Amino acid sequence: MQFFHQTSSCFLQTLVKKYRVFSPMPRFQELPINFGRAIFATSYRSAEREDSKVHEPGSSTWYSRKRDENKRKERTRKDGFLPQAYNMFAAGAAKKRSVISGEEEQPVISTKKEVHFPPPENPLSLEEWEELKGKYDGYQIFEVFMLLQMIDYNRSIDVAKSLLAAVAKRDGDIHYKILLQYLHLCVSQQQTKEIYDMFDIMRMKFKTLEKSASTLLIKGLSNSPHWRDALTVLQQIKKQKVMTPTSRNYRDCIKAAIMNQEINLAWKLFHELLAEGLTPTMDTLQLFFDTGKSVQNDHWTNELIYILRYLRDNQIYPGEDLVHSIKQWFESDPGEKWQGNITTIKKSGQCLSCNQTLESLQLTPEEYNILKEKIMKDVIEGADTFRKTTPEELEQFRKFVDRHSPFDIVIDGLNVAKTSVRFNSSEILLEVVDCLAQQNLRLLVLGRKHMLSGTSQWKKKNMAAMSRKATFFFTENESEDDPFLIYAALHSGRHCKFITRDLLRDHKACVSDSLIQHLFFKWQRSHQMVLSVYVPKEIVRFEPVMTYDTIVQTTGDSWHIPYDERLEERTSYEVPTKWLCLRKK
Amino acid sequence: MRILSVCLVNVIRRSFFQLTAQSGTFLILRSKVNTCRTFVLSTCLNKNSLPDATEKLNLDGWKDLMRTTSQEETSEKDSDAEEDPNLTATKELIEVLRLTTKLVPENISEEQFQNLLELPTKTSKKKYLAFLFKRELKKKAEKEKKEKKKESSRETCVEKNSSNKPENRLIKSFWSKSEDIVHSWRVAQSMIFGQPLVFDMSYENEMSQKEIKYTVKQMMECEAFNRRAKDPFHFHYCSLTTDSPYHKEFVKRYGEAWDKLLVTVSEKAYVEIFPRDQIVYLTADSPNEMKKFENDKIYIIGCLVDGAGKPGISFARAKRLNLATARLPLDRYLDWQIGGKNLTLNQMACILLALKDTGDWKEALKFVPQRKHSGFVGTSLTETGIGMKTKTNRITASQGVSHFAAKSSNRQTKIKWWEDVSS
Repeated sequence: MQFFHQTSSCFLQTLVKKYRVFSPMPRFQELPINFGRAIFATSYRSAEREDSKVHEPGSSTWYSRKRDENKRKERTRKDGFLPQAYNMFAAGAAKKRSVISGEEEQPVISTKKEVHFPPPENPLSLEEWEELKGKYDGYQIFEVFMLLQMIDYNRSIDVAKSLLAAVAKRDGDIHYKILLQYLHLCVSQQQTKEIYDMFDIMRMKFKTLEKSASTLLIKGLSNSPHWRDALTVLQQIKKQKVMTPTSRNYRDCIKAAIMNQEINLAWKLFHELLAEGLTPTMDTLQLFFDTGKSVQNDHWTNELIYILRYLRDNQIYPGEDLVHSIKQWFESDPGEKWQGNITTIKKSGQCLSCNQTLESLQLTPEEYNILKEKIMKDVIEGADTFRKTTPEELEQFRKFVDRHSPFDIVIDGLNVAKTSVRFNSSEILLEVVDCLAQQNLRLLVLGRKHMLSGTSQWKKKNMAAMSRKATFFFTENESEDDPFLIYAALHSGRHCKFITRDLLRDHKACVSDSLIQHLFFKWQRSHQMVLSVYVPKEIVRFEPVMTYDTIVQTTGDSWHIPYDERLEERTSYEVPTKWLCLRKK
Repeated sequence: MRILSVCLVNVIRRSFFQLTAQSGTFLILRSKVNTCRTFVLSTCLNKNSLPDATEKLNLDGWKDLMRTTSQEETSEKDSDAEEDPNLTATKELIEVLRLTTKLVPENISEEQFQNLLELPTKTSKKKYLAFLFKRELKKKAEKEKKEKKKESSRETCVEKNSSNKPENRLIKSFWSKSEDIVHSWRVAQSMIFGQPLVFDMSYENEMSQKEIKYTVKQMMECEAFNRRAKDPFHFHYCSLTTDSPYHKEFVKRYGEAWDKLLVTVSEKAYVEIFPRDQIVYLTADSPNEMKKFENDKIYIIGCLVDGAGKPGISFARAKRLNLATARLPLDRYLDWQIGGKNLTLNQMACILLALKDTGDWKEALKFVPQRKHSGFVGTSLTETGIGMKTKTNRITASQGVSHFAAKSSNRQTKIKWWEDVSS
C-alpha cells in the first residue's frame, strides 16, 4: 500500500512539472482537469497500472465543479440568450458551444479486460516456456502477447531471445508475426546489433516487407550507424508502388541524415516528401529549425523560409513546439536581430505587440469572380438543379436579385428567427431587421413560403412591419434556402455581408476543388455575421466579422505566425487565436 | 556450495513464477522482484555463470536456422519471377500481408486480381482484400455445413431404408414444385387484374457497381416475396434498357428464369405508361405523409441503394416530373431511434403488400427493422389524441366554425414539420 502511495505522488509531481512546461501561466482551476485528461488520454492499461485510484476521484470532482460552474453561468444567462460574444471561427469555439449546450463528450474508457501476465525476468528454456504457455488463456498468440508484454515491462532482450529460440526449437520456423514483435521490442530498446541482424533475416526470408515491418526497420536503423540501410528500405517501399512511404518514414530518414551531418540529403528527402503529396509531421519541420540554429548560411535560411512559405500556401498552422523552435531560430541569427513575442491580435487586425496591421481577409476581384462562378455551378445548380430548388425558382430568384441588388446584408430569416425557442420567431426577426434598418442598410431577408401563412410564430403584423424595412424573398417550402443566401450575398458584391449561424459546411463540401474551398472559407470568415447577444426589446448585438487573415505572413522585416496551442482543441473549420510576432530590432 | 546455490536459484525462480501466475497488480510484483534481486546479489550468485552459459549458447541459434530456411525459400521463388514488376509486387505484398493476419484471402482468381490492380488507392485495395477474405470465410463455413448435413442425411437415409414400409396417406405428398405452380398462377392473375407497383430503374448513373449488385439482390427478394403473397402486385420494372448494368446483373442472377419471370419489364418510363394523376412517388424526402394505402393509385419505388449519402435524388426526380409524392408515416407510428428513414426495396415491398392486404399500419410497419426503432408509439396516447381532436371539432361545429378549425390544425401540423426540417 505504501508503494502505491509513493508512485502516485511521484506521478503527480512529474505531471505538475510537465504542466508547467505546457503553459507559462498555469491557471490553477484548470490544473486538475488537465490531469484528468492526461489520464484519459493514456490507454486503459497504463492508466490503471500507474494509479487509477488516486487520481480519478479528484479529477471527477473537478470535472463536476467545472460543470456546475458552466451550469451556473447558463442559469444567469436565462434572461437573454447566447452566452458571450464569441467568434464562430476562433479555435475552441465548437468546444465552447458543446459545453454550453451540455453535449460534452464523456471520456471513453475501454472496457476490454486485460490479462495480467508479466513476462519472466530471466531467459527460460523450451520446457519452461511451454509450462508458462499452459497457464495463458488470452485471445492473442502466446508468443506475440509475451513479446508485447516485454515491451511494456522493458525486459531484457535475452528473455525474448530465449523465447524465439524455444519457438525455433519447437517448430523449426518462426512466424512472421512473432518476428515482427521481436523487431518491435528491439526497436523500442534501441538494440542496434539485433536490429541489424533482423534486417538481414527479414530481407533474406521475405521478398517484400509490409508496412509495419518496414516502418519498424526504418525507425530502428535510422538511429544506428547503419542508417543508410534505412534509406534503402525507404527506396524499396517506393519501388514497389503498391505502398507508399508515410511521412513518418520520411521523418525518421531525415532525422538520421541530419544526425549524420548529411544536410543535403536531408533536404533532398524533404523535397521528395513534399513531391509525394504528403504532409510533413510537425517534428520534421521542428528538426530543421532546431538544426538551423547552429548552421548559419544562406542555403539554410532559404530552405527554412521555403518551409514557412509552404505552411502559408497550404494553410497549415504549426504547433506550439514548432513555433518555439521557429522563434529560437530567428533569434539565433547573429546578423539581423530578431525579436519574437507571443501575442494575440486585436479585432481590428492589429498585432498587440508591434501594432502592425495584418493581411486583409478580403478576396481579390479575380478570386471573388472565380468563387462566384464556382458556387453558382457546384452549390446551387449541382448535378441536378431539382435537388435543391427548381429551375423556375432559380430563374425567378436570379431576376429578383438582378432587379433589387446590391444589398448590404442578406439575412437567413429562418435561421435568425430560430436562434432561440423561448421567443417568438417573427419578433426576433423583426427586431434584428429593425436594428439593421436603423443603420440605413439595404436588407434582403430570405425565407420560405410557410412564413407567410400567419401563424402564432409568424404573425402577419410582424411580417408586414418587416416588409417595409427590408426586401423579402420566399422560396418554396421544399427548397433549400442556404444556396440562395450564398448566391445573393456573392452577387451583391464584396461589401455585402450575411447573417446566419449555420457553418455552411455542407455547401462548402459541394465544391470539389480544395483551392475554391479555401476561398470560400476565407470569404465566409470575412462576411458572415452572427447574432451573438439578444435580449428582447433591448439588445441586438452581432459578432463582428474578422478583418485579418489567419495565415503565416511576412512583410520582409516582420513575420506573423499563427499557431495551435497544445491544450486547445481546434476543429477543421476554426482558426488559431495565438500568434508569434517576429520583428527586426 | 555451488549445488546449493543452483538449487536456491531454482527455488527463487519457481516461487517468482508462481507469484506471476497467480498474479496481482504489477506494482506489487515489482516490489517482490526487487527483493528477489537483492537476495541473489547477497549470496554472490552472479559469479556462478553456469546456467547462463548454456542459455547463451542457444540464444542466437534460431537466427542461423532462420537464415538457412530463408535461403531455400528464396531459391524456390526465383524461378517464377519473370512477370510484370507491378504484378509481382502486388502478389508478394499479398503474401506478406497474409502472414500478418491482415484480412487477406487465401486464393485470388485472375479476375479478382485484375479488379484489385485497377483500384486507385491503398485503402480501397485493402478494403477489397478484406471483402474477398470475408467472402472466402463464409464460403468455407457453408461448405462445411453442407458436408455435415450430407453426412447426417446419409445416416438417416440408412435408418429409413431399414424400415421400408409404404405409408398410408390420403393425399400424395405435397412438393414445393406444386406450391410454385399455385404461386405462379396467382401472380399471372395479378398481371391481368392486379394493382401495378412500379420500380423506377433510372438510377444507374448514380450508383457504383457494388450498389447495383445490392439493388438487384433486393429486387429479387421483392419479387420472391410478392410471388408468395395472397394477393400479389403486378410488378413493373420501368426504364430498364437491355444490356444496361442492371439488365446484365439480372440476367446473371436469374439465369434462364429471367425470361420466365412474371413481371412487366419495359424500356419506357412510368409516366409514359400510366396516367400522371394516379402516380404517387414514394420517397423519404417527401413533405407529404402517406395517410392510407389506396387501391387505385400507382405507387412508384425508386430502385436506388444510396451508399454515397446523396440525399434528395428521388425527390428531385419526382419534382422534375411534377408528380405527387409521399413518405411512410414512420414518425407517427414508431419511436424512431437510429438509422435512415429510407428503407430497403424489399422492406418497402413487404410493407406495401401488408397494407394492401390489411390496411393496418401497425401490421405493415412490422417490416421496418427493429434496430431502427424502439417500438410503436403508445397506442392509447394516439387514440386519445385523435379522440380529443374530434371532440374539439364537434364543439367548434356546434359553434359553426368547424371548417376553419380543422383547416388551421391541419396547417399547424404542416408548419410544425417544416420548422423541424428547417431548424
